[in-house]
Amino acid sequence: MGLFDFIGPASGLLFTLENIIWINLGVFIGCVFAAIPGLSVILCIILFLPVTYTMRAIPGMMFLLGIYCAGGYGGSVSAILINTPGTPHAAATMLDGYPLSKMGRTKAALKIALYASTFGGIFSALVLLFLGPQVAKISAQLGTAEYFMVCLFGMTIIAGVSGKSLVKGIIAACLGLLISCVGADPMTSYDRFTFGIPRLYLGLDLAVTLIGLFALVEIIGKAELKRNELNLHAGKIGNDDGKITKDEYKRMFRPVLMGSIIGSCVGIVPGTGASEASWFSYNTAKNLSKHPEEFGHGSVEGVAAAESANNAVCGATLIPLLTMGIPGDGCVAIMLSALMINGLNPGLSLFTTDGAIMYAIMLGLILVNIFMFLQGKYLTSLFAKVVSIPQQILTPIIVIFCFAGAYSVNSSYFDLSVALVFGVMAWFMRKLELPAVPVLLGMVLGNMTETNFRRALLISDGSPRIFVSSVYCWIFIALIVVVILGILRGKMKEAKNTKAEQ
Amino acid sequence: MKNLIERAEAKLDEWGAKLEQKNIEYPVDLICGILFLVIGIVLLLIMPQQVQISEKDVVNGRAFPTMLIWLMLAMSALLVGREAYNMVMHRPTKTKTLNLLVETKALVIVLILVVTYLLAEVTDLFVVGAVFCALAFLVFFRCKKPLYYAITVSMAVLIWVVFHFVLNVSF
Repeated sequence: MGLFDFIGPASGLLFTLENIIWINLGVFIGCVFAAIPGLSVILCIILFLPVTYTMRAIPGMMFLLGIYCAGGYGGSVSAILINTPGTPHAAATMLDGYPLSKMGRTKAALKIALYASTFGGIFSALVLLFLGPQVAKISAQLGTAEYFMVCLFGMTIIAGVSGKSLVKGIIAACLGLLISCVGADPMTSYDRFTFGIPRLYLGLDLAVTLIGLFALVEIIGKAELKRNELNLHAGKIGNDDGKITKDEYKRMFRPVLMGSIIGSCVGIVPGTGASEASWFSYNTAKNLSKHPEEFGHGSVEGVAAAESANNAVCGATLIPLLTMGIPGDGCVAIMLSALMINGLNPGLSLFTTDGAIMYAIMLGLILVNIFMFLQGKYLTSLFAKVVSIPQQILTPIIVIFCFAGAYSVNSSYFDLSVALVFGVMAWFMRKLELPAVPVLLGMVLGNMTETNFRRALLISDGSPRIFVSSVYCWIFIALIVVVILGILRGKMKEAKNTKAEQ
Repeated sequence: MKNLIERAEAKLDEWGAKLEQKNIEYPVDLICGILFLVIGIVLLLIMPQQVQISEKDVVNGRAFPTMLIWLMLAMSALLVGREAYNMVMHRPTKTKTLNLLVETKALVIVLILVVTYLLAEVTDLFVVGAVFCALAFLVFFRCKKPLYYAITVSMAVLIWVVFHFVLNVSF
């Protein structure tokens, strides 16, 4: 069965009032969070993950995808208005978006960012729709040993690129995997690392630990704020007509298309993300432009290239996630747990047995981008206002949300204390310059990695040769080696450049 | 009252200015390596008590965590070794600076979070903790605008109402 067999039932599941409401709510919240500097998309997804635990797969995923995709566009609002990127991947947009705004073309800059983001988002949703099932067919040929290698590959690449040091990334990934071992043994149900606390037998809930690791640590990080950093200058949308000329549309087309292709390609590779895609796309557009001198001074091509690329990452990151269970970045790693809680496990079965649900989610991604476009068109002035919400108001509200979310997962105050412990742990990790994303991936992939590792050894009667027994195993070993060598080469180059600068 | 607040703030500013001058420089990689060496060794030592196994298992529940701990130990040893080598060779080691004012403020924030949690648990009424949290953070940021207090406390109550009555979370 393929796309056309599922499109009917998938549309029936997708086009319901409930889904439309959740998509719009997700898009709105995502835009608001991303527009406020200091709040990230990952923080937003973590805060609202507990809400999805009571929802069915499609509305839950639509809500999270709404936040994720709209976050790509929302970051550009503050980048254009106040020269501060709302999210890291909007930094490239800022280079030309803010100068355009200074030239009295704020509305035009926001419009270009919106059009480019929508195009990039829809492009990558189509890539996911057509490429996802093909990759899933390949993943169906993988056995337990190969799956273990896939997990190892995913973690190696992410541990390597998410921090300054590969060694520290691996330590952080190990820490995450060890945390995932807390609770009942997945194979025998004996308890592990519970320290006599009965509640730990159920393990540590991912949403609760993430609230501590990513949200509460940001709150503790407010200690670094100086008093003059508590209020940002209010973003104002000017009185310009926001008109984009025919010539500008023409000039935008190539960078938008190229940005979408670059974003999709970058997104498929685990560990890379929207920031890399937007810079790569921006530089490519600059190199190929007939007006490279305009870049950095308000080039429409610059805004278009950066924005289309960072939104094109969204759909593409879902390809390794849905087909093999490898999250491309931290945000989709969290979405994996939202899928699994509904009994949807990545792989070919997701595209066959649960095909209607999966195609509904993939088609839903197109819908998300359409609603993002509509909200961006009519609500941008509102997003511009939230940019200036003072930290004094925002901080306690986020804390209350964190605690309410943590409690609601299991209706237990014990989870609040777990979130607090993880928040403090994350603060210490910052002081030791240990990245938090590999910990998250370790926790998400822990169960899958261990189960496949042990099952493979069980099949081979304890012989580790099973991990080199097939072509796919060798392919992944080669990929792991290439990735490690690539990361080491990059680090050496970086060290050399730093030395030269000194 | 106003005078009292001003005097308290002046005192806090005085302490803050003193703390801001105090920085602690530490070898970040060396400390990280040593810390995770210790954590790894402790985990290996407590493994027999903490992870029960059946003798019949081909691969038991200790295999995977043990493998991870050894990997963590190896990486930590690498960090320690590299930094020790740099020290012996009189090469610059990687350091990080802690500012005492920032760390003290972080400690106060953690304290606010802990009290919020305790208030909610002891009273079994989440909204009590939420309102405390709202007020405590505004005081922490030395906010003097009554409107901000009104907005934040209202939001605290609103969040509780939404979770309690709309999402049916009983707290």
